[in-house]
Amino acid sequence: MLSTTPRGIARVLGTVTGLLLIGLATPAHAIDLGFRDFQMHGFASQGYTYTSGNNFFGNSQDDGSLEFTELGLNVLGHPWPNLLVAVQGLYRDTGGSDDEGFRLDYANFDLSLPVHDNLTLGIRAGRVKNPFGLYNEARDVIWTRPSVLLPQSIYFDSLALREIELASDGGLLYGRFAFGDHALSAELVASDPRANASGATDFIVGFDSLGARGLEHAPGSLSGRLLLVGRAGYEWREGLVRLFFTAVDFDHDFESSSPTFPSGNAKVFAPLISAQLNLEQWSLTGEYLRIDTERSGFTIGGVPSENTSESYYLQAQYRFAPGWSALARYDALFLNIDDHDGSASARLSGFPRDRFFAKDLTFGLRWEFHEDWLVAAEYHNIDGTAWLSPIDNPGIFDFANPARVREVSDGHWDLFTLMFSYRF
Amino acid sequence: MRLRSTAGDRLGAVNRGRRLGSLPFGVCCAVLTLWCVGGSAADTSVVPYARSRGIVTSLTRTELRDIFFARQTKWPNGDPIRVFVLPDRHPLHIRFSKEVLEVYPYQLRSTWDRILYSGTGVPPTVVNTPQEVRERAEETPGGIGYAEE
Repeated sequence: MLSTTPRGIARVLGTVTGLLLIGLATPAHAIDLGFRDFQMHGFASQGYTYTSGNNFFGNSQDDGSLEFTELGLNVLGHPWPNLLVAVQGLYRDTGGSDDEGFRLDYANFDLSLPVHDNLTLGIRAGRVKNPFGLYNEARDVIWTRPSVLLPQSIYFDSLALREIELASDGGLLYGRFAFGDHALSAELVASDPRANASGATDFIVGFDSLGARGLEHAPGSLSGRLLLVGRAGYEWREGLVRLFFTAVDFDHDFESSSPTFPSGNAKVFAPLISAQLNLEQWSLTGEYLRIDTERSGFTIGGVPSENTSESYYLQAQYRFAPGWSALARYDALFLNIDDHDGSASARLSGFPRDRFFAKDLTFGLRWEFHEDWLVAAEYHNIDGTAWLSPIDNPGIFDFANPARVREVSDGHWDLFTLMFSYRF
Repeated sequence: MRLRSTAGDRLGAVNRGRRLGSLPFGVCCAVLTLWCVGGSAADTSVVPYARSRGIVTSLTRTELRDIFFARQTKWPNGDPIRVFVLPDRHPLHIRFSKEVLEVYPYQLRSTWDRILYSGTGVPPTVVNTPQEVRERAEETPGGIGYAEE
């Protein structure tokens, strides 16, 4: 059953009408802006999410949630052949997992310099998308995702880390060296991380676990040296085989503005390995991530804390007819690599074990029923609640009242999601 | 205007049609008839197409991939490259991808979508008919597409 509230109905009607109007008013393909190769593209996606327990992207139990909207518009082109200018604006609403609003998704120029027949070097600057794994750079567009939801163990959509993962304000150096069917690539971003965006500070400081009474958010701000994101890759025959290694290195001091909350330091190092095999009908993909976090100063009792999490998924896509594809995936997140079943963390915190992992078995079906239209549906069977949003699920981080966590979260749950999208 | 390509000499996969020329006439007719009955257009070649024949006939597969995957944006004389292609499921697009570039069409699409939605490149312009690909490739300075011959 779809939401029967007036707001829900208005949202669906609005989105469907919007999609149809956009579809009728624009040509099937990009809009040619008439200046050199400048083009304008856009997309509109509307999703529906139903969960048997817990909330994902809004209040998704009972009638389900329609708070899953992604709209984008971009302009890009080359004023000179080696200089690219690109801007994309995005509206996104995913319940408590996003700020619901318009934002600048990317706005960068890119200067590439062919050094030799085989070697190209370049620089990109502005708000740049982070080269993180296989899917991060264009993850808010279903056309570049393999599924309605990306594997949440690595591409956090409901946690505040999302904003830092997504894009940075800074510069990126890149290089590509090709010989025959082989290509090596490297990218390095140095940027000011958007660490103070939408709850990211709380997340980095570990605010929720500190149980600071009377405070809504960590009082103060993060500052420090530039965030470094590097990715090295090998591709064979234009991506039939793709191998990437990504590393993220973050080191920031938190300066508290409140006498009741201490200042401190947070360091994050995250290596990610990605592999993909693309055959004519099959694509097989796997990624493996660890996140090492070191916090000092604002930890409980002032004792420095160190933690390593582990995430991975294995995914198979099968293109069985023109426009059709099926997907199966197993995706797992363990918040503490040494405590896969969560029992040690549960003893310390009083939380249920399943707060410390999430194992998600997904089956999906996708139909691009017209060149620029698609519908995709998928079913997730999930054991664990580690990647749930604390905003959509109030109380799941309530360290002051662990008994409540058991009441407000459901360790075994199902998620069904459906998405329509149009683009030009 | 038809483009008689010498690119086929350098691009082994595109000269399927030419190989037929050396077969006995009867065999050729029989094969062509079978193909026509089967509704296939495999007796033709698909070749890169541009106003200036000199440009496309000298391109290697590696260079064509650089152009169609939107990595190379400039001709050797400094002019900007403009690429025109057919929709992903058009038979001629599929043939050009597989026979000339030797990639699956979805590899092109996934690269084009990735650069478009990450702000790192400009995908080719998609037009609706083979006739339109030729026209746009001819009219546009630095234009390149593909054609069946």
